[in-house]
Amino acid sequence: MANVASAPLLQVDAITMIFGGIVAIDNLSLDVKQGQILALMGPNGAGKTTTFHVIAGVHKPTLGCILFQGQDITALRPDARCRAGVARTFQITQPFEQLSVAENIMVGARPYHSSMAELRKASEAYAHKVGLGDKLNTLAKGLSTGQRKRLELARAMATRPKLLLMDEVTGGVDMKSIPGLIDLVKTLRADGLTIVLIEHNMRVINELADEAVFMNRGARMVSGTPHEVATNPAVVELYLGESADHGH
Amino acid sequence: MFKPYTLQSRLCIAGALVLMLALPLITSDPYIMHVMVLVMIFGIFASAWNLVTGFAGLKTFGHHAFFGLGAYGSALLSMNLAISPWITLWLGGLIAAGAGFFIGTPILRIRSMAHVAIVTLGFAEIVRICIANFSSVTRGEMGLWGIPQFEGFTLPFAGPITFSPADKVSFYYLSLVLLLLMLGVIVCLMRSKTGLAMLAMRDGEDAAESLGVNLTRMKLMVFGLSAFIVGIAGAFYAHYLSILTPASVVGLDLMISIIAMVLVGGLGTFTGPLVGALVLTVLIEAMRDLESYRMLGYGLLIVLIVMYLPKGLVTLRERCFPRPQE
Repeated sequence: MANVASAPLLQVDAITMIFGGIVAIDNLSLDVKQGQILALMGPNGAGKTTTFHVIAGVHKPTLGCILFQGQDITALRPDARCRAGVARTFQITQPFEQLSVAENIMVGARPYHSSMAELRKASEAYAHKVGLGDKLNTLAKGLSTGQRKRLELARAMATRPKLLLMDEVTGGVDMKSIPGLIDLVKTLRADGLTIVLIEHNMRVINELADEAVFMNRGARMVSGTPHEVATNPAVVELYLGESADHGH
Repeated sequence: MFKPYTLQSRLCIAGALVLMLALPLITSDPYIMHVMVLVMIFGIFASAWNLVTGFAGLKTFGHHAFFGLGAYGSALLSMNLAISPWITLWLGGLIAAGAGFFIGTPILRIRSMAHVAIVTLGFAEIVRICIANFSSVTRGEMGLWGIPQFEGFTLPFAGPITFSPADKVSFYYLSLVLLLLMLGVIVCLMRSKTGLAMLAMRDGEDAAESLGVNLTRMKLMVFGLSAFIVGIAGAFYAHYLSILTPASVVGLDLMISIIAMVLVGGLGTFTGPLVGALVLTVLIEAMRDLESYRMLGYGLLIVLIVMYLPKGLVTLRERCFPRPQE
């Protein structure tokens, strides 16, 4: 147990990502411990989503490597990383529009159930968990932004991940739904899931994150507890007056 | 698609099956039988193209290459090596599947669907030009004739079955068996977990991949299987008509009529390609009296159907009697 707790579940080891002369990530390292919730913060274009793409396997880093449970997974394709236990949601949601809510979730849960009836049943349980229990047979193209975000979360959870990457789950979601989402993430952590989230909403970060990393121009600028990061003079200066109000 | 069959759909399937089985008892007119055999060959072809385009989302315009490879492959094997057409039928399918894997490999890397269409179309043109120019083997544009027919056999209770140009009924039943077999494979696949993963790939490749769908394996599998089915249809066509020309089996107009059948019937549905094959094949035969105006009328009907029923004829019922949303 002590061993598991001490070795990070995910190690992002000095990655650099260059797209045609533009440095999107500049020598970034992250350690994410088992059971931890880490928040990635930063202005638009800081390289947060690119970092997710590199961790999930969409991009191979120009330099550096990704270790998951001590194994080098840098060469694995996204589907192999999913099987290894890395799941993600997308900043711009990508529901399978012609499939129903239940069928969307079934795609994620495929490996764990042999019969279609069992698979559907298990998927319906995930739909209930994220509050889409009354939309099981609705086609995904008919969902609102908030519902799409929940659907992506359910789909990712159905893959039974060890690490979940959540890209702006509260983005575009109405204020009323946010407390429900926060509670949902808390129950996920209670189940032992390790989470990295990209988030702009300071209230969400304060409630959930154990640690925050503030990125700017592809590199780590400041890190620490959410409060430390939000009150850091360099961060406040970057956001000028606007972010200082949010911090309090 | 993944819901259990309702009583209504079971009755519809059973009814259609009984009708198809009983048709030769009602009329064994060789002309009608011939048209129905063509409907079923095109039905198999259209269903296989629909598998790749409607279900897997890979927009390919070169499937006539597989039809031609199956047809010429099976015909040449049975003529030159004296293998029974009953065996070369399957070998023709395998040749087409091999070509499917071959062309599927470069397609895997292309994300732009317009480019997939061009690459597959180009591949089919290469196949057509090769068949037309290797005239020492294929007799080129002069056409390959004298292709052996299926050997007859004796069926218990039914007596001897023969396959000859004069007796179309046995071809009718053979094509029906092939159609049901191929359709069975497609339906079973699409109602399985693999089918679910395939539809996910169609609706969003990145999301499907993030949920553990191996896109490479899926695309190769679906391309190979679809090519195999089209190859079987081509091989049957070769032994049915006994004569092949490059233009008749690898011509672009064949591919265009298959695409029209699927779009008119309903892309991404099981019954759409069959309905489309039936309607368009029968229609073009029914308009023979119009002579040179025939293609005009044919084109007009396709335009009207696509305009007013963009999701195909299979949505006609819902269009007339809309059901409340669940």
